[in-house]
Amino acid sequence: MDDILKPKLLRLLLREYVPDERHPFRNSLELLFVVSSIKTHKLLSEWAPKSTNKNLIDEWKSAVDSWVNRVFTIASSNMPDKCWAGICLLGLTCQECSPERFLASYSDWFSKLLSLIQTPADSHFVKAASCASISDLLIRLSGFPNTKKDGTSQATKLIQPVLKLLDEDSSDGFSQEALCLLCTIMNCFPHSVHRNHGNIEAAILLKIMSGKCSASILKKLGNALCLLPKSKGDEDSWSLLMQKILLSINNQLNDAFQGLEEEARSNETMRILLPPGKEAPQPLGGQERSQETSDFAMRRAEQLLVSRISTLMYCCCTMLTDSYPVQVTVPVRAVVSLVGRVLMVDGSLSQASYPSMTAMKQELICSELPILQLHSLEMLSAIIKGLRSQLSPHVAEIIQLLAKYFGRCRLPMLREKAYAILKVLLSSMGVGVAIHLSQDVVTNAFIDLESFGDERKGTSFGVHANASRETLTHSRRRKRKQASMTESLQDQLDRDNLEVAIPQNPAELSVKVAALEALEALLTVGGSLRSESWRANVDHLLITVATNACKGGWAKEERSIFLCDEPIPIWADFQLASLRALLASLLSPGRVRPPYLSLGLELFRRGMQETGSRLSEYCRHALLALEVLIHPRALSLVDFSTANDNYEDLSRKVPENVTFQIRTLGKGIVEHESDDELYKNWLGSDDEMEEVPDTERNTNYTAEPSAAARSLSPVNLPNKSELRVSSSGANEKIAVDRDDVMVELQETNSTGGDKLGEHVPNTAAGDYPGGHTSRVVSNSDALDPMDTKMAPVPNDTAMISDAVITAGRDENAKKNVSGTKDGGFNTIIEKISATLVSNFKKSEGLTGESDNESLDSIPDIIEGDPDSD
Amino acid sequence: METELVIASSPSDAGISCWNLHTGSEHLRYKMCSSPAHGLASVAGRFLASSQIRDPKSSSSGSILYWSWNKPQVEVKSFPAEPVKPLLSNSEGTYIVGGGISGDIYLWEVATGNLLKKWHAHYRGVTCMVFNDDQSLLISGSEDGCVRVWSLFMIFGGANREKAKNPYEYSFHEHTLKVTDIKIGYGGCNAIIVSASEDRTCKVWSLSTGKLLRNIVFPSIIDAIALDPGEHVFYAGGRDGKIYIAALNAPGTSNSSYGLHIIGSLSEHSKAITCLASSADGSLLVSGSEDGMIRVWDTKRRNITRVFRHAKGPVNNVLVVRQPQHLNPGTSPNTQASSLRGHGWPMPPPLQKYANSSDENAYTKAFISPQTASNKLLDDSYISVQTMENLIKELQKQGSAAAAELDVERLKVEQQRSVQTIQQWKTIYENLHQFCVSELLDGNHVESNNG
Repeated sequence: MDDILKPKLLRLLLREYVPDERHPFRNSLELLFVVSSIKTHKLLSEWAPKSTNKNLIDEWKSAVDSWVNRVFTIASSNMPDKCWAGICLLGLTCQECSPERFLASYSDWFSKLLSLIQTPADSHFVKAASCASISDLLIRLSGFPNTKKDGTSQATKLIQPVLKLLDEDSSDGFSQEALCLLCTIMNCFPHSVHRNHGNIEAAILLKIMSGKCSASILKKLGNALCLLPKSKGDEDSWSLLMQKILLSINNQLNDAFQGLEEEARSNETMRILLPPGKEAPQPLGGQERSQETSDFAMRRAEQLLVSRISTLMYCCCTMLTDSYPVQVTVPVRAVVSLVGRVLMVDGSLSQASYPSMTAMKQELICSELPILQLHSLEMLSAIIKGLRSQLSPHVAEIIQLLAKYFGRCRLPMLREKAYAILKVLLSSMGVGVAIHLSQDVVTNAFIDLESFGDERKGTSFGVHANASRETLTHSRRRKRKQASMTESLQDQLDRDNLEVAIPQNPAELSVKVAALEALEALLTVGGSLRSESWRANVDHLLITVATNACKGGWAKEERSIFLCDEPIPIWADFQLASLRALLASLLSPGRVRPPYLSLGLELFRRGMQETGSRLSEYCRHALLALEVLIHPRALSLVDFSTANDNYEDLSRKVPENVTFQIRTLGKGIVEHESDDELYKNWLGSDDEMEEVPDTERNTNYTAEPSAAARSLSPVNLPNKSELRVSSSGANEKIAVDRDDVMVELQETNSTGGDKLGEHVPNTAAGDYPGGHTSRVVSNSDALDPMDTKMAPVPNDTAMISDAVITAGRDENAKKNVSGTKDGGFNTIIEKISATLVSNFKKSEGLTGESDNESLDSIPDIIEGDPDSD
Repeated sequence: METELVIASSPSDAGISCWNLHTGSEHLRYKMCSSPAHGLASVAGRFLASSQIRDPKSSSSGSILYWSWNKPQVEVKSFPAEPVKPLLSNSEGTYIVGGGISGDIYLWEVATGNLLKKWHAHYRGVTCMVFNDDQSLLISGSEDGCVRVWSLFMIFGGANREKAKNPYEYSFHEHTLKVTDIKIGYGGCNAIIVSASEDRTCKVWSLSTGKLLRNIVFPSIIDAIALDPGEHVFYAGGRDGKIYIAALNAPGTSNSSYGLHIIGSLSEHSKAITCLASSADGSLLVSGSEDGMIRVWDTKRRNITRVFRHAKGPVNNVLVVRQPQHLNPGTSPNTQASSLRGHGWPMPPPLQKYANSSDENAYTKAFISPQTASNKLLDDSYISVQTMENLIKELQKQGSAAAAELDVERLKVEQQRSVQTIQQWKTIYENLHQFCVSELLDGNHVESNNG
């Protein structure tokens, strides 16, 4: 909007919508219109670009002047409705007006508002509006750098009136605003509350204990209590308040759990809270007050107790997670032990029943128990979040507690929370904890996700180990007998989908979401370390759950076009969680190629088509992440083709080598322990001839997984030497006879290597047709037993070579090493290269035919390979 | 790019020197430090800590010293029960771990100085230690050639649950002589561990399977390792003054003159390389040598970009750390330091010699993330408009108590005003009446007078 219009609009608003002294106040809704116009167009800002002419500025100024006058006038009106409207608009003016105007007139406004708070007779509308406006005024004031002192002195005047307001207001009334004001004072001008520390604490506690406040007010009260130590900002006041809160919680728990737990438990907690010999601090809220409130407690129903404890626990959580200016001492064990105390109560009476314990009381407490447990779980998660790595010494205790609790906890809400804690623990404590926590997570997740497993067969997904695998094989066998179906897993899953009833209860679903998230965290953090016992089962579970979830969901979403208000969100959450967990299961490094990779890819591909949803966004991300699994790569950070070093001679001659290299996937995404071929490849891949001339591009593409061939595979040292003895003497020698080999290697480098390097590029130019692979094989057989190892290589490398040319220098290197075995390496290399030259020439023009030949010839060679035992 | 500092110390009493890696300017030189290899640590960038070499005759206990960034003098001295060689802190600076010459490992909480755990980790002295990327595993190497992986969780008593097992997660015995350095890469549970030893080998281990992946034999004893951040290669500093480049993911070749998997070297040192560190982006490699020089290498071009001179004697520790915020020579360091001190970063107490009874560990001293700035948006906390909306909503609810109250109030005021008006009218009426009466009376009077 043009700036010129702004003063005009402001005058219009003033004339038409803002009440004035004479006319009655018609419609309060009109005020909202005024507020929104002012906020949208910044009508009170009086800010215009410098170039604007002076008339406009003056006009605007006078318009705002009359706005302020009018607002101030109606705020002083004795008609309560006009008065509160005026007060609210004054609050808005504090927010919106120009800084100069604010600084010039805030003290007038402040005294006006203060007088309104102090007048006892005013209606609660007026008081609420005044509190809110003063709070805004103070917030604006605290934004200016030079007003701290004045602000503090002004704020000090407010404390008593505000406390009085809190004290006298019995209902919720305006306590919300009064509390906001109190919090603002403590936040913005902490020095002003120093002298009234105790009073404020007492006033807040009285409100909490009164049991007349709504949940939102209780939360506000909790926040206010937590702000108190911040106003001093030292370690002692934080620790003191924390200790008081914990003691108070403990005392209340004593009342609540009398007869529901053994007495030793409360004594033990007390001992940890207050080590013997230490003096107890003043009770929370001061001496007399607490006496009074505990009498009060006896009279009121048990629910009150619970709401009080919950509020105090909320305080505790807030203090643990909010920032605090200095380092403080956190009573970790006390918190954990309090949490444990609540979690271990299950509602049954202990042996020594108290005569005073009525059935009524037991029932009441038990009905409130879930709330209490939820809040204590919240406390647990707060302490994990607050302390992070500092919690390490106590993690063992927490995990024990959680494991025990999981065993007995049935309510969805509580299980959900417990899973959330497991998740936080896993991700904050890392691998070290994941190793030991995995069994608990897996066991419980299986229980909760069971209904998504093989329900149709009536067997559970077996917590322990092989159950699911057994069912899987079992069903396959059965199908095979029937011979009525194809045996792919896909089909089996399809069948599952049709028959599994999907639970629709949102609470149950959210437990499943939480369980999936915990599994996801477990797989992310510790998916490959000591995971043999559970990994296969979890992978299977996750693909099943994801498949089922997505099938059902997409059908549902189609229907949702007609029924708009279906509970889709929760279902979409579940789908998303299942896909997230699935991606973690596919990506988390394992010992074998992810068994459900293709199914997963298909799911993500389908999910991606649900354009515009969170789900499709995630699927797109998943496909990107999985691409690395399909085309493993380890790209060099350093561009070796430009590196100027003597060992790079060859790589410069074969530049493709560096530009795009699909080779070692260093982290061994796909590998198998028993696969000697892979193991050999990692350990001594240089023994293999890896040179792949252009001509072999289209040769065999079918053999073993290429990525596997390159990955880091585990090595068993004793084995290694045995293997090496038979296969490549060179490696063995290196270990035993280092110095000799070194000399030899150097020789090799200077002679044979160079020669070969010159040969290789030439070979590519040839154009002889013919089956090169077999020729190579037969030739090398003739040359030396060592060279049989050359044969498998085309097999390996062919797959890679489709996209890429691998290093020519690898071949070189390999030959050098083999050359060390016998002295006459020079001649051998010459022979080999001669053979290669001829072969390459032959095969250049003929790629299609060579497929068969290599397929035929290679198996023979592999059998003859001494490494394959 | 964030400024990085090179920090170096030596076994001779040459202090700790500190340079800006990118500009080469020297910061403070911290005094009184003669550290063993791996004995220098920056505790989460908050302060420097170093274990000290001591004459074994003079004292049976070792010592660990702290320096704050802004003062050259030692600020805190601790005396552990035995001389400690390698010293390490986790990335958050919560714990300091020291490896004793007897093979014990000590774990202290920094904030309180409490000795939380001490355990017998190796049969002979601990030589080097490292935390994995999520700080939950500790990997230690020893003089007897053993490399062990510890989980902090197990160390802190999680072991109760599985009594049969060893306290460590893995124990690797393949090295035949003293382990000189250990590094671990990224990758969580699937990371690789690289260890160097006096037996002239470096071994690559898989954390997930606990097996040896690769054994690389070097022409010389390797005393220091640094991993390339992409784990393409690793750098191994040898006693022959060369830094060898060994392949991890890189295409392995052995046509270099050095041996299998070694793909090249950087060399210009005349004396043995004792320590290596690489910059955060991996483009620079910093090496310390026995000739007292610290060389900065460009790993791409493989040449030296900078040389720092630490002392005449050998250098045995170099670290590359991010420059702490309050160590900024451009702005006035004093004011910033003092404001920082006010914000809860005091020097921690000395480390305790012996463990406390378990009860005293009930209280953990913790940072609850000290406030950096008022990061709350003030706009969110303005409430008057919100209050107004609430009040209006309440007003709209016909028959709500508040609305009724307000109506009553208003009616009262109106009634008051009406009463006033009536009063006014009455007064006016009476005045008029008075006036008329007196007028009449006066008239009569006049008339009677006239008549």
